[in-house]
Amino acid sequence: MTRYLKLFSKMKQVKILALIVIALFALLLVSCVPGGAPPARGWSGTAVQDGILYTGSVDGRVVAIDIETRGEEWSYAITVPPPTTIYSTPIVDGDLVYIASYSGKVLALNTLARGQNLPFPQSRYGEWEWDCPGAKVGNNAIVADLLVTEDAIYVSSSNGRVYSLDKEFGDVNWESDILHEKLWTSPVIQGGTLYVSTFDGHIYALSAETGALLPWFFKSKAGFASSPVLYNDTIFVGSFDRNLYAIKIGDDEPLWKFPGGKWFWAAPLVNEGVVYAGCLDGKIYAIEAEAGGKLWEFDAGNPVVSSPVLMDNLLIVADESGTVYAFDLNADPEDRAVVPLRPISINAAVKGSLWAQEGLVFIRGQDNKIYVLDIERGRLSWEFPLDY
Amino acid sequence: MLEAWYLIIGNPVLNGLVALSHILFDEFGLAIIALTVIVRLISWPLTSRQSESTKAMQSMQPKIQELQKKYGKNKQKLQQETMKLYKEAGVNPLGCLWPMLIQFPIWIALYQAIMNALAATPEHLLDLAHRLYGWEVVSQAIPLNSQFLWLDLGSQGDLILAIIVGGTMWVQQKMTTAPSVDPRQQATSSMMLLMMPLMFGFFVLMVPSGLALYWAVSNIIGIITQYFITGGWGYLKFPVLGPRS
Repeated sequence: MTRYLKLFSKMKQVKILALIVIALFALLLVSCVPGGAPPARGWSGTAVQDGILYTGSVDGRVVAIDIETRGEEWSYAITVPPPTTIYSTPIVDGDLVYIASYSGKVLALNTLARGQNLPFPQSRYGEWEWDCPGAKVGNNAIVADLLVTEDAIYVSSSNGRVYSLDKEFGDVNWESDILHEKLWTSPVIQGGTLYVSTFDGHIYALSAETGALLPWFFKSKAGFASSPVLYNDTIFVGSFDRNLYAIKIGDDEPLWKFPGGKWFWAAPLVNEGVVYAGCLDGKIYAIEAEAGGKLWEFDAGNPVVSSPVLMDNLLIVADESGTVYAFDLNADPEDRAVVPLRPISINAAVKGSLWAQEGLVFIRGQDNKIYVLDIERGRLSWEFPLDY
Repeated sequence: MLEAWYLIIGNPVLNGLVALSHILFDEFGLAIIALTVIVRLISWPLTSRQSESTKAMQSMQPKIQELQKKYGKNKQKLQQETMKLYKEAGVNPLGCLWPMLIQFPIWIALYQAIMNALAATPEHLLDLAHRLYGWEVVSQAIPLNSQFLWLDLGSQGDLILAIIVGGTMWVQQKMTTAPSVDPRQQATSSMMLLMMPLMFGFFVLMVPSGLALYWAVSNIIGIITQYFITGGWGYLKFPVLGPRS
């Protein structure tokens, strides 16, 4: 009987303790489990002009690096508490660098003013800053690359609207209707019309002058994952249904659909009638732009998150694991499909867009470092840490 | 280990939720409610055993009161006899833990599924590509609508939901917690009765509303099943209004 008594008493204690432990453990796991709440780290790409490389760092700085001296020219921290990050790739236009932050800011930074570390913004240098409106925190985040034309800057926002900004002062020319819950893809422009893909499967056409919705739109059952690309009046865009769509402007049915193993997340590249598309299934596909037939494919073995780029006759593709491939587009098609030039591995995840020129490829890795690859020699030329 | 987790629990829950969402009029909130019902059905054998146990404990109250009268001054003997009575009736005081333990992995999977499916950050959306099955019903549902009633299912800190979760948990616990004969144990039970709802109410403020919605619906289902199995409100006593007879 004494044994029963002790057992009963212990069971009560165990019950209480177990409940407390479970509750605390739940909190701990919910906070820490992998995949639970990874912070937004950004994947800004690189841009090069006049020997200076521009990029956005993981900690929300715009950084300019002199390629020749391999030293930092200047950096500017977009200080919004809590610290923000950058997904968009800088766009350089004359002395101005345009960039957008995850905190919903669009900035025009003057390279001369930043080089002198003057307080921002210097209006006499043409600098400005624009805050995207949002109904709540995160609702105004800007994830997509900016579209910069001669006349204006076009911004897709997480609040679901497209904005047209004046290039000189950053004033809002117009704002579109809400196209979807959030817009994370960049618009493309052709002949005064903007084309925007949405996560709910629409391609909308907007007047670049007024932002008004034009009569034609395309609707797919599944949403569009990638930004659209325009070539010969045809829009190429990746979908959540694992297809790459070719949509003739004005048509209600797709010209063709090309099936991948997973999403076509990155915007494809179209060159001389061939669509080059990286897929999250780890493959790079070359597809006929007109007919949608597969010309060749290469299995990188890791998801391809960033868009391919062209450098002369070379197609440059990086997979997510940090291996960079170069395909000679002048080579025999059969060789091209299976034998890229020497792949180069940087051992850092690659998600942002690449910049390639004069035999060099510039990459911002997810480890917050800049990698410069010498494609001809098939090796890493130099690297630059963006961390302080 | 992590891959096994996603293969067995994480991905099925995620894909199930996304598919349910598309079937249920693209309402992610309805999908969470449907999932809650499914989980409750799966854990039904354990829940019903717990409810039966509660019912048995309720029916034993007259006998326990008799024991209290008989051994009121001898606490040790009273506890011995009470425990003996429970044992004879096949009542397990720890039985109520199992339904909660069963649901524990579901909570984690649900939390991950909500964060991924609602694509709170671009990283979440990209990560989603690796977790979704190739089903048409799934691809057509992505990304999901986070709005449900007044809630943003991906956001945290909803006070009304915290009160609902805390309140329903208190009611459910109150219905099933038998009063103890030992004043010390009674004090502990009372503390637990208050602490658990408060803790979960506090958790609601820190997790996405989608997960809190699961807790709230789960509690409500628990109250309803408990009511019908035990044939009433159990140990929950309502204040008597109006003149006493």
